[in-house]
Amino acid sequence: MIALQLLINGLIAGAIYALVATGFSLIYSVCKFVHFAHGATIAFSAYFLYFLFSILGLNFGFAVVLAIAFASLLGYGMNFFVYKQLRKRKASSVILLIASFALLIFFESLILLLFGADVKTIGFIKIAKGLEFFGAIITPLQIFIVAASFVLLGLLFLFMKKTKIGKAMRAVADNKEVAEVVGISSERIYDYVFIIGSAIAGIAAILVGLEQNLEPMMGTNLMIKGFSGAIIGGIGSVPGAILGAFLLGFAENFGIWFLPSGYKDAIAFIILFAFLLFRPQGILGIKKNE
Amino acid sequence: MLKVKNLKKYFGGVKAVDGCSFEVKQGTITALIGPNGSGKTTVFNLISGILKEDSGKVIFDNIDITHFSPEAVSNIGISRLFQQTRLFNNLTVKENLLLALDNEDTKFWKNVFGFNKITKEKEEKIREMLNLVGMERFENKLAREFSYGQKRLVDLARTILNPHKLLMLDEPVAGVNPYLREEIAEILKTLKKQGEAVLLIEHDMNFTLKLADCIIVMGGGKIIAEGKPEEIKGNPKVLEAYLGE
Repeated sequence: MIALQLLINGLIAGAIYALVATGFSLIYSVCKFVHFAHGATIAFSAYFLYFLFSILGLNFGFAVVLAIAFASLLGYGMNFFVYKQLRKRKASSVILLIASFALLIFFESLILLLFGADVKTIGFIKIAKGLEFFGAIITPLQIFIVAASFVLLGLLFLFMKKTKIGKAMRAVADNKEVAEVVGISSERIYDYVFIIGSAIAGIAAILVGLEQNLEPMMGTNLMIKGFSGAIIGGIGSVPGAILGAFLLGFAENFGIWFLPSGYKDAIAFIILFAFLLFRPQGILGIKKNE
Repeated sequence: MLKVKNLKKYFGGVKAVDGCSFEVKQGTITALIGPNGSGKTTVFNLISGILKEDSGKVIFDNIDITHFSPEAVSNIGISRLFQQTRLFNNLTVKENLLLALDNEDTKFWKNVFGFNKITKEKEEKIREMLNLVGMERFENKLAREFSYGQKRLVDLARTILNPHKLLMLDEPVAGVNPYLREEIAEILKTLKKQGEAVLLIEHDMNFTLKLADCIIVMGGGKIIAEGKPEEIKGNPKVLEAYLGE
């Protein structure tokens, strides 16, 4: 009974981490730098939904569409106004990483300034009685989160495999120089990757916002989990990031069977360190010398 | 079709390309030869936008492409084969060729709404090309799983499939068996008949002399001789460049 409940809890956590890790990993695999400000996209989009729905009182469906569009625009803007300008000046991936930290801090501070430090609730879904499933409890919202996550990941898989643009993204991720020689503009692909990766972050933000309270640092916390999932699965591999994120979700939840729940984050980091020590390329990653 | 005017590229004190001027005419095969380090590949890199010139101009179809990016050079109709094989290793052979086949089709909405279908015509073209290089059985294999020779063939197929008016081939038959060399020579002759231009770097003199309409000889970053194969064969400057004084 407990095992099933933990399995369900792990699945819910994994579904959210997978969305975060997927967007992050997609951007990393194509643009070849760690975009930590992905966390800011998540937090700002969740607050934007709160602003539209809870403050302005817009229709929830319309607010959701605007929040996803906002996330895409925010990601695109970060790429266009910051990263692209740095790339023009031949900035290394370390410089881009530092810039991403600056963006993360900037946007989190902006959230604090605009919305204050206290937690906010979107409040669209009232607390519902959980459904019993072989003795384990799951709410309709949680079922929706898991289902939405799986559908979205499936659509992303099809997009990357079947469309020309998805193939072009994989081509730039594989070898930017060759992609340019066959006529693919890497800069245009970077724009697309930021738009799509950030839209996924926006959807993750909405799902998290419905399930939990909003607080200014929520993006950083989720980003750390998404980043850990991406490393465990194999940095740069989108399927790996999904696998790593679910593994992390299950490990965290099964870990608290034996340990106090306060150690949840510690479990995630122990797994991360174990992978960095014994399998740095992650589950699906390829060793550098191969 | 392609005019290179007084092109210069220095790396510190090394004059890799030092005032090169030449022309490649439509419907001809032009070979760029010379000893190692004479600047042939640097000229290729300058034309294809991978390196930025110090001075000089590159004109293609009456358009100044000197400052074009590599993708703009490709999209204007110049397809290039590298000396070292370069493929998308994590993509299948078919995907590698498909990306080369229609390089204008990365428009966002066109793709999102599925207007950019992989048509049967495109698939047929890919299959034909793979048949030609004897790789038809491997279209769904990942490029990284192949040997050097097989990768070379896929790379060549991709370069030819990339829509172009000018083919720039850097040692296309290096490491390729004699039978396939003949096949490649036939392909190049067919392309020439169709009005395309080919600019070739090749160390295999039999292959080059048999195929080229015009040979340009480089030495120390400069052009030291230019002419028809029979004129180049007996040119003492060419012998001097290869053998030393």
